Amino acid sequence: MLLIFLLAPFGGSLLVLFFPSDQRGATAWFAGAIAFVCFLLAAGIYPFVTAGGVLRFELDWIPELGLNLTLRMDGFAWLFATLITAIGVLVVLYARYYMAAEDPIPRFFALFLAFMGSMLGVVLSGNLILLAVFWELTSIVSFLLIGYWHHNAHARDGARIALTMTGMGGLSMLIGLLLIGRVVGSYELDAVLASGDAIRNDPLYLPILILILFGALTKSAQFPFHFWLPHAMAAPTPVSAYLHSATMVKAGVFLLARLWPVMAGTEAWFWIVGLAGLSTLLLGAYFAIFQQDLKGLLAYSTISHLGLITVLLSLGSPLAAVAAVFHIVNHATFKASLFMAAGIIDHETGTRDMRRLSGLFRYMPITATLAMVASAAMAGVPLLNGFLSKEMFFAEAIETHLVNSLDTITPYVATIAGMFAVTYSLRFIHSVFFGAPPADLPKRPHEPPRWMRAPIEFLVLACLIVGIIPGRTIGPFLHTAVVSILGDRTPDYSLAVWHGWNVPLIMSFVALSGGVGLYFLMRSYLATGIEGPPVFRLLQGQRIFERVLVTLSWKWARSLEQRFGTRRLQPQMLLLVFLAVSAAAVPLFRRGFELPPLVIRGIDPAFALLWALGIACAVGAAYQAKFHRLFALVLLGGAGLITCITFVWLSAPDLAVTQLLVEIVTTVLILLGLRWLPKRIEESRPEDIPLRVRFRRLRDFLLALAAGGGMSLIAYRVMTQPTPETIASYFVERAYSEGGGANVVNVILVDFRGFDTLGEVAVLSIVALTVFALLLRFRPHPDSQDIPLQQRVQNAFDDDHPDRNAGDSIAEYLHIPSTIMRWMFPVTGMLAAYLFLRGHDLPGGGFAAGIAMSIGFLLQYMAGGTRWVEERLRIHPLRWMSIGLLVAAATGIGSWVFGYPFLTSHSQYATLPIVGKVPLASAILFDLGVFSLVLGATVLMLIALAHQSVRAPRAHARPARTEREAAQ
Amino acid sequence: MTEWLHHLLILPILVPLAVAAALVPLNERERALKGSIGFVSTLVVFLIAMILMGLAAAGEDSLPGSGVYQLGNWPAPFGIVLVLDRLSALMLCLASGLALAAQVYSTARWHTAGHHFHSLIQLLLAGLNGAFLTGDLFNLFVFFEMMLAASYGLLLHGSGPLRVKAGLHYIAINLAASSLFLIGVSLIYGTTGTLNMADLATKLAALPPESRMLVETGAALLGIAFLVKAGMWPLGFWLPTAYAAATPPAAAVFAILTKVGIYVILRLHLLVFGAAAGASAGFGQSWLLAGGVATIAFGAIGVLASQAMGRLAGYSVLVSSGTLLAAIGLGHEEMLAGALFYLVSSTLTIAAFFLLIELVERGRDAAADVLAVTMEAYGDFDEGEEEEEVGVAIPRTMAVLGLCFSLCAVLLSGLPPLSGFVAKFALLKGLFEIPAADPARALTAADWTYVTLIILSGLAAMIAMNRIGIRTFWASIEGTIPRVVIIEITPVVILLAACLFLSFHPAPAMRYMQETVGDLLTPSLYSERVLSAPRAGDR
Repeated sequence: MLLIFLLAPFGGSLLVLFFPSDQRGATAWFAGAIAFVCFLLAAGIYPFVTAGGVLRFELDWIPELGLNLTLRMDGFAWLFATLITAIGVLVVLYARYYMAAEDPIPRFFALFLAFMGSMLGVVLSGNLILLAVFWELTSIVSFLLIGYWHHNAHARDGARIALTMTGMGGLSMLIGLLLIGRVVGSYELDAVLASGDAIRNDPLYLPILILILFGALTKSAQFPFHFWLPHAMAAPTPVSAYLHSATMVKAGVFLLARLWPVMAGTEAWFWIVGLAGLSTLLLGAYFAIFQQDLKGLLAYSTISHLGLITVLLSLGSPLAAVAAVFHIVNHATFKASLFMAAGIIDHETGTRDMRRLSGLFRYMPITATLAMVASAAMAGVPLLNGFLSKEMFFAEAIETHLVNSLDTITPYVATIAGMFAVTYSLRFIHSVFFGAPPADLPKRPHEPPRWMRAPIEFLVLACLIVGIIPGRTIGPFLHTAVVSILGDRTPDYSLAVWHGWNVPLIMSFVALSGGVGLYFLMRSYLATGIEGPPVFRLLQGQRIFERVLVTLSWKWARSLEQRFGTRRLQPQMLLLVFLAVSAAAVPLFRRGFELPPLVIRGIDPAFALLWALGIACAVGAAYQAKFHRLFALVLLGGAGLITCITFVWLSAPDLAVTQLLVEIVTTVLILLGLRWLPKRIEESRPEDIPLRVRFRRLRDFLLALAAGGGMSLIAYRVMTQPTPETIASYFVERAYSEGGGANVVNVILVDFRGFDTLGEVAVLSIVALTVFALLLRFRPHPDSQDIPLQQRVQNAFDDDHPDRNAGDSIAEYLHIPSTIMRWMFPVTGMLAAYLFLRGHDLPGGGFAAGIAMSIGFLLQYMAGGTRWVEERLRIHPLRWMSIGLLVAAATGIGSWVFGYPFLTSHSQYATLPIVGKVPLASAILFDLGVFSLVLGATVLMLIALAHQSVRAPRAHARPARTEREAAQ
Repeated sequence: MTEWLHHLLILPILVPLAVAAALVPLNERERALKGSIGFVSTLVVFLIAMILMGLAAAGEDSLPGSGVYQLGNWPAPFGIVLVLDRLSALMLCLASGLALAAQVYSTARWHTAGHHFHSLIQLLLAGLNGAFLTGDLFNLFVFFEMMLAASYGLLLHGSGPLRVKAGLHYIAINLAASSLFLIGVSLIYGTTGTLNMADLATKLAALPPESRMLVETGAALLGIAFLVKAGMWPLGFWLPTAYAAATPPAAAVFAILTKVGIYVILRLHLLVFGAAAGASAGFGQSWLLAGGVATIAFGAIGVLASQAMGRLAGYSVLVSSGTLLAAIGLGHEEMLAGALFYLVSSTLTIAAFFLLIELVERGRDAAADVLAVTMEAYGDFDEGEEEEEVGVAIPRTMAVLGLCFSLCAVLLSGLPPLSGFVAKFALLKGLFEIPAADPARALTAADWTYVTLIILSGLAAMIAMNRIGIRTFWASIEGTIPRVVIIEITPVVILLAACLFLSFHPAPAMRYMQETVGDLLTPSLYSERVLSAPRAGDR
C-alpha cells in the first residue's frame, strides 16, 4: 500500500510525459486524479497510524550494504503526507487555470508529480539513506520546476542557485547520515530512533550534528542560507505555492523534527539551531516588510515562519515540538492560499509589483477577502489558525530551557518578529487591495475563473475552522503526529483558543498593535518604492553567493588548474622522469642500497675502445638532436652498430642479427622521413641565453644524469648478484627435447613465449597502420614543400647546359649504385629465405627474415623510385600483413584440433629433395606468419613515406598551374 | 565439450585480432561491410565475455580448466598463462561493451574520418582483453603495447592539427612510460627469475632484503608506468587534452584505458603486495593515497575550470581515477567492492558522456562558452525589464539530448538515485564501516580528507554540468538543432540504460563485486590455482 502510495506519483509523472501538449484539460485532470488518489490513500491509512501505530513496508534494494527500500509511516509522516497530497490536489486544480496555453503542460505536470513523489518519499523513508535519496531528488526536480520558464534569465539563475545550495546541503547531510549509520550500525529509522543516547554521547556527535544541520538549514532556507528561496519565486506560481507551503522548505524542518528525539536536547543543538532560527525569524520578517514584489514579500515571510518553527525545535522541550508541528500545518495552509492569491493578482493584472498595484478590492472582492483572511492568519490574528500556534510559540519563548543569553532574548525577539509579521501582512493587504484605483496596469483586473479561486477558498476555510474550533478539527491528527515523535514524552497540551489573560496574550497584543503602528509609521518610507530593506539591501545574498561561486569555481579553479597543471610536453616529461627516479630511489634508500665492490679485471682494450666510441656516438646524437637531425641520426646509427657488435662479442648472435637489421630499416625510414621535417635554425648565440634558461638546462641535465646513472647502478647491481633460479633454465633444458629447435632463442620466440611474439608483431602492424593512416592525411610544412635543395641544384645545372634536358641529372644521379641495388633484390630474397629456414636451429627466424626481405624492397624503392618499383612489382603490404597475422593465429588454433591449447607446437624433421633434412615444427608455420606480417608492416611504412614524395609535388604543382593560368 | 569451453578463454583476444587482420586488406570504400564485420566481432566478444562472467560468477570450480589457460601447453611459471577470475571477466565485459557502443556510434559518420578505424578498434579490444586476462608480467607489457599502439592510431584518427598535436604528446609520454614498464619488468625478472604474477607473489615473501629492494624498485617503476596510464596527478596532464581531442567513439573507448592502469594496480597490489608479502606488504600504498587524493582535487578543479564539455569529461576521467586510486590507497578492505562498482558505473557514464558531447555540440558555436561564465558573474538581465513568461517547448531532439545530458550530469556528480550515487554510497559506507576485526578503529585524517574530496568533487561536477547544461539547453534554444541519427543516440541510450539498471537493481552487481573482492583478498588461492593447473594431455 505504501509502495503504491509512493509509486503512483512517479508512474503518473512518466505517463503524463506522453500526453500530447495540446490536451491541457486531460493532462491536468490526470495529474489531479493521481494526486487525489494519493490523498484518498493517505486518508485510508489513517486508522493504522493512530496512537503510535507504525506502518512498514520493506523491499530489497542493496541488502549487501544495508540499504533497503524501507517505507515507514507513522503519525508524523502521515500528517506530512496528507498535507503534501491535499495541497497537491489543490495546486493542480489551480495550475489548470493558471498555466498559459503556450506552456508545455505535460512537462509541467510530469515534474510536478515527480516532485510530489519525491517529497512523499522524504517523509515516508524508513531508511536514512533512502531519505537522502529522495531529499536530493526534491532538489533536482525543484531545479527543473524553478527553471521551467527557462528562457527567462531569472528562472535560470534562481534554479541554479536553488540546486547549488540545496544540493550542497544534501551532500553534507548524506555524510552526517552515514556517520549516524556508523554509530548506530544501521540506517533503519527505527533503529536510529531507538539509539538517541548512543548518538548524543558519541564523540562524532558534533560533526554529525553540523553536517545534518547544514543540510536541513539550507533546505529550510535558514539564515545565512536563506537567499536561494526568494529567487526560487521565478518558478510558476503554483510551484511557488507548493514549494513554500507543504514541500521543499518543509523538508528541512521535517528532518529536524524527525531526528529531534535523537539529536535534540544538547547544548550544541540549542545554540546552532536556536541561533539560526532566531536570526532567520527576525531578519526574514524584517526583509519581508520592504519587498516590492508580492511573491518576494511572501517568500521572506516564509523564511521568517520557518525560522519560527526552527526556534521551536531548537528549544528541546516536548511542548515546543508540539507547537512546531502545529505551526508547520498552519503555515502550509495560509501560505499556500496567499501564494495562490498573489498568483491570481499577477495573472489578472499582469504585474506583481506592489508599487503599481492598489485598490484592487473593487475589482476582485472575493479574492481580496480571502487574501485578507489568510494574511490575518499569517499575522497571527485571533480566531485564525496562525494565532494558535503563535500563542504556543510565545508561551514557549518565555519558558526558560537552558540558562544562557540566547534563551533570555528569545521572548523579545519573538515579539519583535511578531510585530514585523503584522506589519508586512498589513502592507500586503493595504497596498494591494485598498487605496486609489490602479493606473496603467498591463491588464484590466477582474475576478479569476470560479475554479481557480476554489483552492484558496478551501484553504482559507481550513484556516478559519482550525482557528475557531482547533480541538475538534486538527486536534486528533496533531495528537497522532506528536505521539509518533515524542512517544511517552508527549506532554499535556491544550489547543483552546482562550487560555485566559497571560503573558503570551499580552505579547500577541503588543505585536498586533505594535505592528499596525509600525506600518503607519513606515508608510511614507515604503511609498518611496525602494526595493529591499535599508542597509541590508546592499548585502544581497544572491549576489555575494554568485560572486563567491564564480570566484571559486571559475577564477580560482582556472588559476589553480594552470598552476598545478600544464599542457606542455616538456614539463610533463620532466615530471615523469623525476618521479620515476624518485620512485626507484625511495625503496633503495629505505632498504640500504649497497653497491657490490667494483672489480675491474680483464678489460679488452678493443672492447673498451668500441664502447668509448659508442658512448661518444650516443652523447653526440643527443647533443645534435635539436638542430642537426641528420647528424644525430648518423651518430645514432653508430651507437646502434656498436650495440650490435657488443651482442656479437658477448655471444648473442640472434640479438645481433635482429638488432642489425632493425637498425638498418629504422635508420633508413627515419632518413626518408627527415625530408619532410621543416628546418630548424639555431638562432641565439650561446652568450645570449638568459640565466633562467641556463638554469633550466642545468636542471634537466642533472636529472638526466641521475636517471642514466641510477639506471646503470641498478643494472650493475642486478648483474652482479648471484643469478636466481630462473625460468630460463627450463627453456634451455627443453628447447630441443620438447620445442624441437636447437636455437633456444627462436624456440622461446615461437613456442615457449610465442604468444608474446604474436602480440609484438601485432603491435608492429598497428604501428604500420597508424603511420600509414596518419601520413595519408599528411600535408607537409610549407618550408619543405619545395623540391629539395640538391635537386634544385641539379636542375639548375641542366638548365645551364644547353645539351641537357631538365631532369637528366636527377635521372643519372647515383646511376651505378642504383643498378647494383636492383640486382641485389634476388640476393636479399635468398638471404631472407636462408635466415628464415635456419631460424629454428641457428640465429635467424621469421622476424629477422621479414626485416631482411623488406630491406630488399627498400633498396628497390631507393634505387628506382616509387613509380618505377610499383610499375614492376605488385606490392600489397596490407594483404601480406593480414595473411601473416591470420596464418600465425591459424597455426595456433590448429592445435585445438588435437586437444591442446592455443599455440601448442609439434615438431619433426622432414627430408626435402636437394635441401636435405629440414626441421619441420608446426612453429615454422607460425614463423612464416611472423615473416609475412613483419614484411608487410615494414613495407607499408616505407610506402607511406614513399608515396608522400609522389603526392607532394602534385599537391604543389596544382597551385603553380593555377597561378600560370591566372597570369594568362 | 569442456575442452572447447576451455578455449573460450582465449577467444576475447583471438577473435578481434583475427577480425582486425581480415579487415585490413579490405577496401576502405567498403565501410558498411567493414563496420558490420567489426560489429559482429565485437558482439561475439561481448557475448563470450558475458558467458565468461557467468562462469566466473559461479565460482572457480565450475570454470573450465579452473580458469587457467596455458599457452603452448607450457605450465606456469614457465609458459604464459591466461587467468580468468571474476575481476578479469568483469573488465572483459566492460571493455567489449564500450567497444560495441563506440563502434555502433562510429558507423554514422566518424569511421569515415580516416583509414582502418574498425581494425584499430578491434586491435585495441584485443590488447585490452589480453591485458585483463594475462597472468604474466611480460605478456602484460605486450598487451599494454598493443593497446597503446592501437590507441595512438585511434587518437590520431581523423587527423587535424589539434588531434595530431595532442596525439604526439600522448605518444611521447606513453612511450616513456612503456620504457619504465620494461625496466621494471626486467628488474623483477632479474631478481626473482620469474615473470608469472602468481609465482612472483609466492616468491616475494622469502626474498632476502637485498633482492627485495630491487623488486620493490622494479615495482615502483611499474607503478609509475601504470599511474601514467591512470592519469594520476602529476602524471596525467596529457589526459584531458588528448581525450578532448579524440573523436567521440575513440574517446568513449579511451574511458576504459585509464581503468586498465587501475586494474593492474589493484591486481598486483593485492596479489603481490598483499598481507602475505612479508616486509613488502602494502608497498606504495601511501603513495597511491596521496596521489589519488591530489588527482581528485586536481580533477575537480579542472572540471570547474572547463569551458568545453570535452575537457570537462576529460577531467571527470581524472576524478574517477583519483577516487579509485585513493580508495585503494586507503587500504580499507570494506571499500573495495564499492570501488569496483564505482569503476563500472563511472566508466559507463564517462563513455556515454563522450559520445553525447559531440551530438550536443554539433549545433552550437564555441563563442557561447565564454559568455556563460561572464553571464554568471555580472548578470545578463536588466533588472527593470521582465521577459515575457511563456514556455518554449524543447523540440524532440533537444529533449532527448537534454534527458541524456541530465542523466550524465546526475551520474557524474553522484546525485541520487542513480548508480553514481550508489557507488559513492558504497565507497563511503565501506569507509565508515567499523571493521569486525578492529572495532576500535577511528576515522583518520586521511579518511576525512577522502570523504571531503569525494563530496567536493561531486559538487564540482554538479556546478560545472549545471552551468554547461543551462547554457546549452536552456539559454540557447534558438541555436540550430543538431541533426542526430538514431544509430548515434542508441549507444548513448544503451550505456545510460546500463547505468540505470545498475541504479535500480544494483544488488546482483554488488554481490558480484563483493565476491570479486573476496577473491582478490585471498591471493594464495589465485597463486595455487595458476601454479597447479594441469597440462593438457601428455606431450
